[in-house]
Parts: sequence; structure tokens; C-alpha cells
Amino acid sequence: MKKQLTSVKNIVLLVLLLFTLKSFGQTDLEKELDNAKPKGHEKVKSTFKSTKLVNGQTNETIYKNELDFRVDHRFGDIAGSNGGIRPFFGLDNASDVRIGFQYGLSDRLTVGFARDKGATDVRQLYELNLKYRLLEQTTDNYIPFAVTLFGSATAAGVQASTDLTSDIAYTDFNSRLNYVSQIIFARKFSPSLSVTLTPTYVHRNFTAFRDQNDLFAMGAGARAKLTNHMSLIVDYFLSFRNSGDKDYIQQLNGTKFYNPLGVGLEIETGGHVFDINFTNATAIDEMQFIPSTTTSWLKGQYRWGFSISRRFSFNKDKKKDQYPEKK
Amino acid sequence: MKKLLFILYATLIGYSAQAQGILISRNASLSFFSSTPVEDIEAKSNQATSVLDPKTRDIIFKVSNTTFEFPKKLMQEHFNEEYIESDKFPYSEFKGKIKDEVDLSKNGTYTVTVAGTLNLHGVTKPYETKATLIVNNGSISAKATFRVKIADHDIKVPSIVFKHIAESVDVRVAADYQPKKS
Repeated sequence: MKKQLTSVKNIVLLVLLLFTLKSFGQTDLEKELDNAKPKGHEKVKSTFKSTKLVNGQTNETIYKNELDFRVDHRFGDIAGSNGGIRPFFGLDNASDVRIGFQYGLSDRLTVGFARDKGATDVRQLYELNLKYRLLEQTTDNYIPFAVTLFGSATAAGVQASTDLTSDIAYTDFNSRLNYVSQIIFARKFSPSLSVTLTPTYVHRNFTAFRDQNDLFAMGAGARAKLTNHMSLIVDYFLSFRNSGDKDYIQQLNGTKFYNPLGVGLEIETGGHVFDINFTNATAIDEMQFIPSTTTSWLKGQYRWGFSISRRFSFNKDKKKDQYPEKK
Repeated sequence: MKKLLFILYATLIGYSAQAQGILISRNASLSFFSSTPVEDIEAKSNQATSVLDPKTRDIIFKVSNTTFEFPKKLMQEHFNEEYIESDKFPYSEFKGKIKDEVDLSKNGTYTVTVAGTLNLHGVTKPYETKATLIVNNGSISAKATFRVKIADHDIKVPSIVFKHIAESVDVRVAADYQPKKS
């Protein structure tokens, strides 16, 4: 009886061992495969679909030898004293229009040119910009966020005013120049959620009396994907004004400064990125909407806006000689 | 108890012998080609890994979807974001077996049939294709082509770019296997 039991035990053990042997063989092959995988920090791609959210920049640049053509448009106030049915909820007016080109000199460096109508007295804007991808987020959080630098120089072409208190009483070309510098921090928290934080410095060579030549602001933005092709986008800029100067200007002009807030729906259709947005900012250029937004959401001074961006590639296709069987 | 120990040893010896025979290809190349009257699209990855067990004739291929390179970077972005969905499905994997009884320890050129399953975009489908193996003093170089119908793997192409992306793509595989160094 006892002998029989041991042999049964042995058989069970043998069978068990055979099983382990078999599974050893299979998992072994898989394990070898995983060991053979190249190791490295993989970059997080496509934090955003476009170089801009509603008003603010994203960390994205244009890839090498690609050209981005972008049109931004802002209508007039939807509601409030300048809106309503008479100007057909703002559609009769164009508070700002911007046409811009950006070209990727390398995968990291983008150079751009834009012509912008301008929304305040400072009009007929010519903008040159540079965007440099300094750091890219990695999937293993070795680099937890992306850093991109943005800089622009904008010249106002508008005829100089003879009124010395005006913000366009230009005396020379230099006084027409305005600069924006931004450090864009971005993180893709999940495939559907990306955010930006953008410390900004705006310098205007010439402003109205006691308006600030130098202004610091903090921008924040986010994109939430609704589907693979559609996302909700939002951004906001908080500017740090000098309260004495702010009160003086506000009292003088009978206006108030507001922080620009934009919300929009972004639709991507293979090469085109299209967005429909609402914002209280009348202007599109950073040097203008950050220091000069005097329209408020709460007063109905928000508007329809849209942007269309189209990407063209000038990369030559590689030869297809590898595929002789192609018909 | 002695018997048991003997079995254990035999098992371990068998296992290690098997492990020694494994061949690895660390930089296998995988490319696919989509051709339509409107546009030809080709993408390639040289970072696929593959293992081959010449005894059992088991073969596995694995590639990180983000390693595929396209001539147009925007296309690569769309491939990862919208079609293959690399965030959800980071790898594509083929697990198969060489059906023919070939002795891969002898030098020569063999045309064999490989059958197995391909896991692409989270959908696993059976595939069978001809492959050419060239055995040269313990290392093997392999080549194969097969056709993947993208709808089979639940990859959706929006109507607006439908004319640009073929319904079936040709996949090319090439790997040079070296014996695993222990």
C-alpha cells in the first residue's frame, strides 16, 4: 500500500515537472525576447496636435522640412453693448485676423513669419518668430515634462499718431518693435490629457504714457481628447501688472484689463487642424492679447474665433525599389 | 527521493540545453507598404526583436509600434496617434512555428512555411506565409513577406483619408539571427 502511494506520488511529480519544463521552454523564449529589446528613454510624442491652443502656444514645433500654414480669425463681440443681433453676434466684425507660416529648419527649430491685423490701435503687425524644442518628455519619466522656448519680434506698420499720449505716437522704427519670450512647460499626463504652463515676458518698446513696457504673465493651457480626432482646448493668461500704473490707465481710458481666457473645440483631419473657439481676447498676437485685453466674458465681450492650420511636407519620398512586386 | 532528484537534474539539463540553442535577432527589420493611386506610404522599423528556437522551430517577433519611421513625420504621428494607437497597444507581436521539418543545424537555403498568430492593434489573427531561411554556420538569416488587411485588425481609417491608405498593406520581415551568447 505504502509502495503504491510513493509511485503515485512519483508519477504526479514527474507530470508536474514535465509541465514546468514545457512552460519553461515557452516563457524562456519570451523572456529572451524581452531581454533583447533595445533599452533607452522613449520620447513622448504628440503632446498636442497643433503649435497653438486657442491663444497660447503649445510645446509643439514643426518637423524638419515641413511647412505649416495657419489662419486665425476672431470675430466681434457676441453679446454686450457691441454685440447682439445688429452686428449678427459679432460675425459682421473681424476684431483680428492673422495669417502665418512656420517652417521646420530641424525637428527642434521652427522659424515663422506672420501678418496680423492687430486689434487695438497698434495695427498692421509683422511678426517673426522662433520656436525651439529644448527638452522632450520621456515615457519612463526620466524627463517628466517637455520644455520649448518661444520668442517673437513684432513690428507695427500703422501710421504714427501725432497725439503724443497715444500708444502709436511712434518717433522711429525702433519704437514700433515689440518682443515676446516664453518658456513653455508641457506634460502629457495621459493619451487624452496634456497641459502647459507658460511663464511669459512681453516687452513693448513704446506704449501709452504709464502703460507698462515690461510685463510678466503666466499662461496655462490644457487639451482633453474627446475622440482620436476631436479635443477640447482651453487656455488662460494671468498678467502681473503694477497696480499704480494699472489704475491710472484704467481710469484714463475708462476701461479695465481682463485676463484672456479661451475655450475651443479642435478637430484634426489628417494634415489639417481646425478649431472653433470662444475667447474674450480681441487680439491674436501674444504681444497684444496678453497686455491689452480690455474685454470681459462677464460683459458679453467674448467672440467666435476659428483657426485652420495645414501642414505641407517637403521631405522627398524614399525610393520604392525595395518593393519590386508592387503593381 | 533519488529518483526525484534524478528527474529534477534531467529537467534542468534539458532546459539549459534548450536555452543554449536559441537564436536571437536584435535589429530585425520590419517594413510595411501601402499603395493607392493617390499615395504610396512606406514605413520601416529596424528595432524589431526576434527569437528562434531551431529545435522546436518556434519563432517570435516583437516590435514597438513607435519605432516605425515614415518619410513624413506628420504621418508617423498620425500612425501612432490614430491608427495603431501606440498608447493603448505599444507592441505588435507575431508568435509562430516553422511547419516544415527542417534541420536548421545544417548549412543551406530553405523555403519553409511559417504559421502563427499576429497580435496587431489588440486583435490577434492567424497568418501563414512562406519564408526563406539561409543557414550559415549556426547563424540564420530569414526573410518573409505577407499581407495584412487593416480592417481585420480593427484599424479604422476615416473617410477623408480613405483614398490615401490601402485596405491591405504588404509587410516585409528580415532578420539575421545569431546564437545567444551565454
